[in-house]
Amino acid sequence: MTRLSPCCGMPGPTAPRRTREEVDATLQVAKLNAAELLPTVHCLSFGSGTSGAATGDFCLLELEPALCQQLEAGDSFVIRGDKDEQAVLCSKDKTYDLKIADTSNMLLFIPGCKTPDQLKGEETQSNIVHTEIFGFSNNYWELRRCRPKLKKLKKLLMENTYEGPDSQKEEDPSRSKYTTEDLLNQIQASEEEIMAQLQVLNACEIGGYWRILEFDYEIKLLNHVTQLVDSESWSFNKVPLNVCLQELGPLEPEPSHVAVPRIFKEMIEHCLKCYGKKYVDKGEVYFELNADKVCRATAEMLLQNAVKFNLAEFQEVWQQSVPEGMTTRLDQLKGLALVDRSSRPEIIFLFKVDALPEGTQDRFNSLFSLREKWTEEDIAPYIQDLCGEKQTIGALLTKYSRSSMQNGVKVYNSRRLIS
Amino acid sequence: MVQIVISSTGAEGLAEWVLMELQGEIEARYSTGLAGNLLGDLHYTTEGIPVLIVGHHILYGKIIHLEKPFAVLVKHTPGKQDCDELGRETGTQYLVTALIKNKILFKTRPKPIITNVPKKV
Repeated sequence: MTRLSPCCGMPGPTAPRRTREEVDATLQVAKLNAAELLPTVHCLSFGSGTSGAATGDFCLLELEPALCQQLEAGDSFVIRGDKDEQAVLCSKDKTYDLKIADTSNMLLFIPGCKTPDQLKGEETQSNIVHTEIFGFSNNYWELRRCRPKLKKLKKLLMENTYEGPDSQKEEDPSRSKYTTEDLLNQIQASEEEIMAQLQVLNACEIGGYWRILEFDYEIKLLNHVTQLVDSESWSFNKVPLNVCLQELGPLEPEPSHVAVPRIFKEMIEHCLKCYGKKYVDKGEVYFELNADKVCRATAEMLLQNAVKFNLAEFQEVWQQSVPEGMTTRLDQLKGLALVDRSSRPEIIFLFKVDALPEGTQDRFNSLFSLREKWTEEDIAPYIQDLCGEKQTIGALLTKYSRSSMQNGVKVYNSRRLIS
Repeated sequence: MVQIVISSTGAEGLAEWVLMELQGEIEARYSTGLAGNLLGDLHYTTEGIPVLIVGHHILYGKIIHLEKPFAVLVKHTPGKQDCDELGRETGTQYLVTALIKNKILFKTRPKPIITNVPKKV
């Protein structure tokens, strides 16, 4: 431990200001040649208000360059976390774990202190700068990019799914509803990440509140669209929006509110947005239905009422249920359904990735509880979302599982016993 | 959920400070704390090497440009008069007071300044 004592340590509200003569005398005592020094000297002192960061009045936050640029542009960040949550820092588009880093050294924050490069650009005249140290600390906050905690988002919205404008649920004011601001208050993620996830969840903003459609209601809307495509003999690559609204609009029940027909049309358009890509041709708005998404939703509808489905029978019913021209493929169901090829007959069943735990170790425990051995192909969709910027599926498997060969195929099992 | 906003006024409002890193601790000669006391004189050689004279010690350091800059955040806890337009009391905020992109690192041991001792006659 090195201990340093400042000189002229006379207690008092303000240290006496040193003069050029005093500084030069000190240089002489220290045997320093003034000619080898830049003319400017900073006389450093602790301000009367100087305190350590331990008081909590200020802190030091380490930034990656991009975040520094955002602050310089006037952007804000938000620290988010409930009492039972690890705090995160959110910029407009990213989320970071926030951790304290200790150092045995002393860090002093010095306003108005010039570096040699800055001084060399100035006039070469003998100069004393009296500089007050703002504060000191032996720790700082550091940031590490992390996955946004988005699982809570779906959980909140699933508390009160939307079943259509005529549903009795909509009359119940005790039902939870969330505006964008409410979600920012609840979710440990940046606004952009939340908005992106709302898209992934096929969420819809209704009357200012974000809602997830009840699956049966969503499927009903999709069926309306696909049946119309079928009856009109349209290609599913070119579904005209306005004709859809005209033809499907009257399907709404007896209107009890003025808003109902408008909302129903909004729902039809929302459905088209979720399952298709919008484009304009000769001034008309069209949607190109996404075969993978439609097939996937159809499969979920078929599987949700069956605990297990005979694979061959399922594939037959599935293909018959999707619009003509669309081809069903099992890889469309990654992260949604799982095939058990070890049973006779082979079966398929719903197994949704978003029903699994969010933490990495808990996730792996859950997967190995369901199935003792996994191929990489089967397990990949269920750990893909755990990969951060630098983590690969291979790295996760190496860290959390053990591999072996089974009938010439590489399989992964748990590193620890699953009770 | 607790939300703490870290707000910035943009580059015009952001000062640029320097961080100085010292080995060990600084102790005041008297038990009055550091506030209000001198630390020492900071010089630079013509080659740009920082030289710090603290009491009877001299330290040589170096300037390090920080790949990851620091922000100095000052906590602002609202009084009851601090309300936003909707009349809600706002929570704790941190204001970015300065950015620090350069560090003066003193990692060698301080050398004592040896004064001339008159020879005994």
